[in-house]
Amino acid sequence: MNKLLALTALVTLSSFATAQKNTTLVWSGAITGPTSDAGSSYAAGVEDYCRYANAQKMLSVTLTCVVRDDQYNNANTQRNFEEFVGNQNVPVFLGYATGGMLQIKGVVQETKVPTLPASYHIGIIDPPNNGYMFLPVSSYSENIVALLEWVANKERGAKVALIVNPSPFGRDPVVDARKAAERLGLKITDVQEVGGNNLDNTALLKRLEAQGAKYIINQNTAGPVANILKDAKRLGLLGKMQFMGAHYTGGEDLTKLAGDAAKDFVWATSYYMYDEGDQPGIQLVKKIGAQFERKADTIRSVHYTSGMLAASIAIEAMKRGGKTITAASVYKGLTSMNGSRAFNPGFTVGPVTFSAKDHVGAENLRLLQADATGNFKAITGAQRSKMFQLVHPLK
Amino acid sequence: MELLPQLLLAGVVIGSIYALAALGFVLIYKSSRVINFAHGQIIATGAFIAFALTQRGLNFWLAGLIAMLITFGLGMLIERVFLRRMVGEPIISVIMVTIGLSSVIEGLIHLTPYGAGNFSFTTPAVLSGEGLSVLGTQLSRTQLAGVLTALALLGGFTYFFNKSTLGITMRAVADDQMAAMSVGTSVERVFALAWAAAALTAAAAGVILGLMSGLTLGGLAGIGLKVFPVVILGGLDSVVGAIVGGMLIGVLENLSAGYLDGLVPGGGTREVFPFIVLIAVLLLRPYGLFGTKEIERV
Repeated sequence: MNKLLALTALVTLSSFATAQKNTTLVWSGAITGPTSDAGSSYAAGVEDYCRYANAQKMLSVTLTCVVRDDQYNNANTQRNFEEFVGNQNVPVFLGYATGGMLQIKGVVQETKVPTLPASYHIGIIDPPNNGYMFLPVSSYSENIVALLEWVANKERGAKVALIVNPSPFGRDPVVDARKAAERLGLKITDVQEVGGNNLDNTALLKRLEAQGAKYIINQNTAGPVANILKDAKRLGLLGKMQFMGAHYTGGEDLTKLAGDAAKDFVWATSYYMYDEGDQPGIQLVKKIGAQFERKADTIRSVHYTSGMLAASIAIEAMKRGGKTITAASVYKGLTSMNGSRAFNPGFTVGPVTFSAKDHVGAENLRLLQADATGNFKAITGAQRSKMFQLVHPLK
Repeated sequence: MELLPQLLLAGVVIGSIYALAALGFVLIYKSSRVINFAHGQIIATGAFIAFALTQRGLNFWLAGLIAMLITFGLGMLIERVFLRRMVGEPIISVIMVTIGLSSVIEGLIHLTPYGAGNFSFTTPAVLSGEGLSVLGTQLSRTQLAGVLTALALLGGFTYFFNKSTLGITMRAVADDQMAAMSVGTSVERVFALAWAAAALTAAAAGVILGLMSGLTLGGLAGIGLKVFPVVILGGLDSVVGAIVGGMLIGVLENLSAGYLDGLVPGGGTREVFPFIVLIAVLLLRPYGLFGTKEIERV
């Protein structure tokens, strides 16, 4: 009996010792399937920052980096969560898609494992089950409301149309956009859903033109938006309509796909751009990208930076939580990121701040506009939307 | 009323691409009575081969041509390795093989750098200038080139089936394999040629689609299913049917987007409308507008 007790104690101690030497950082997202254009670069960002953190010995333990393709399939996301969190006690989960994140929201709450999605859908951090979900940057809803504020400043009473993805990712900001437009004195003339196979947008654009919509706000990914811009150029609508969009519509991906049709596109995002080489975060992106021999296109993609941000937040939270890295310690580390202890890895236009009540990381955003060469240049400073907090008070 | 001609014209443009994509289904069905569910993946393969070649500095036109030749060989290979063994097997088994093939090809594309991501051909200089104004709407040079290429290929295949010895032989095989074999026709050779030709047209469709609206695996492979209403409406074994069906579906899609989307919250009727047509055709005229009406007396 004594031998058995001693053996049990030994096994317990050795497993405890093992837990102190290693921990796992896991990301589940779309490397293939819909939106993999963003997901593949995001995955590279997570993976490379994680490897960089190991090389820099940022933690006293060794990080095992797992990047798992869930193919934008909610069931796969859930299985990955159960495998890593349920079976392997991974202390923090990096997720991806809106649908998948909404699906695991209840389980995240139950397991109390802090989760950082790549989706900036505000519903992910809305009650109920919102205790352990953290958005790395400002939400799509806030992006869109900020764009509406910009429109209202330019032209009070303007007519605005929304083109959104036919999914929770696309649809969610519509409610907040409608409320904000009403308060701002803007008229939303139409809300149209456009998916990824939009081969011809003539009918869509001519109808929006007939409605007198001068500002078109997109909540979609870069591919469908590029096709809309190319058709708008063909139909001679680029000068007549101002095209705009939330985070996943813009950046290098858009200019690469739409070419000169992307000129003047106004984009809301919290991230610094690749060509802002004076920013320490961008310098780090370039350094890490070169170190791990990523292709130029990958390094230039804003989604590569986004993946790095998510990984850096998780690793910083691990570091801050104490010697033993657990879900509870990571939560403690995350919620310590405020005031003088805000985390600023330099990837975003403002610091990352979280608390028990504040679950939006880099709250600041900027509006940028594509120039003739396809580069996005800031047309506002770092700001928060004033109206967003009125139409969607966070609890 | 200026909207109507614009919608019709846009419908014809997109319809001609649908027709080209549908041609692959028709070629295979016409010769072997097999519906190829991997056609969308072959479209994607052709497009990505061309894109990969342009990435290595090859001229766009040459890359497109080489991609068509490579997929021609690939189509022949697929027939030789997978389909030939299925001759005489129940049709459901053959269909399942093509469904399996679709997954295998998609998986293989995922292993390349092109499986994930959104890509775009660099528009050749000759296609990047001002387009043409027709019926009050602008057509880009890319669209015009796409339509002309599609129509040339469709015209070529129509001529091939009606006038050339080989084309007539292929039709004979489709009509009665046993009778064709009894007069010395190599059915296997005909099947291989049908698959190869279908793959070649798939590559052409993929390159045109890629040039017009970018390259994504999902988008290109999805075209394979999207043209089902086209082939059902036109008639599964009719090249003319593919052309007419393609144009009709393209136009109907645009008309529904132009006139119905405003009535439906969120719009998006163009995605659904072709499949409503598909159901209606299957219920009312299952052999389509130009397909062979088969009569079985029992």
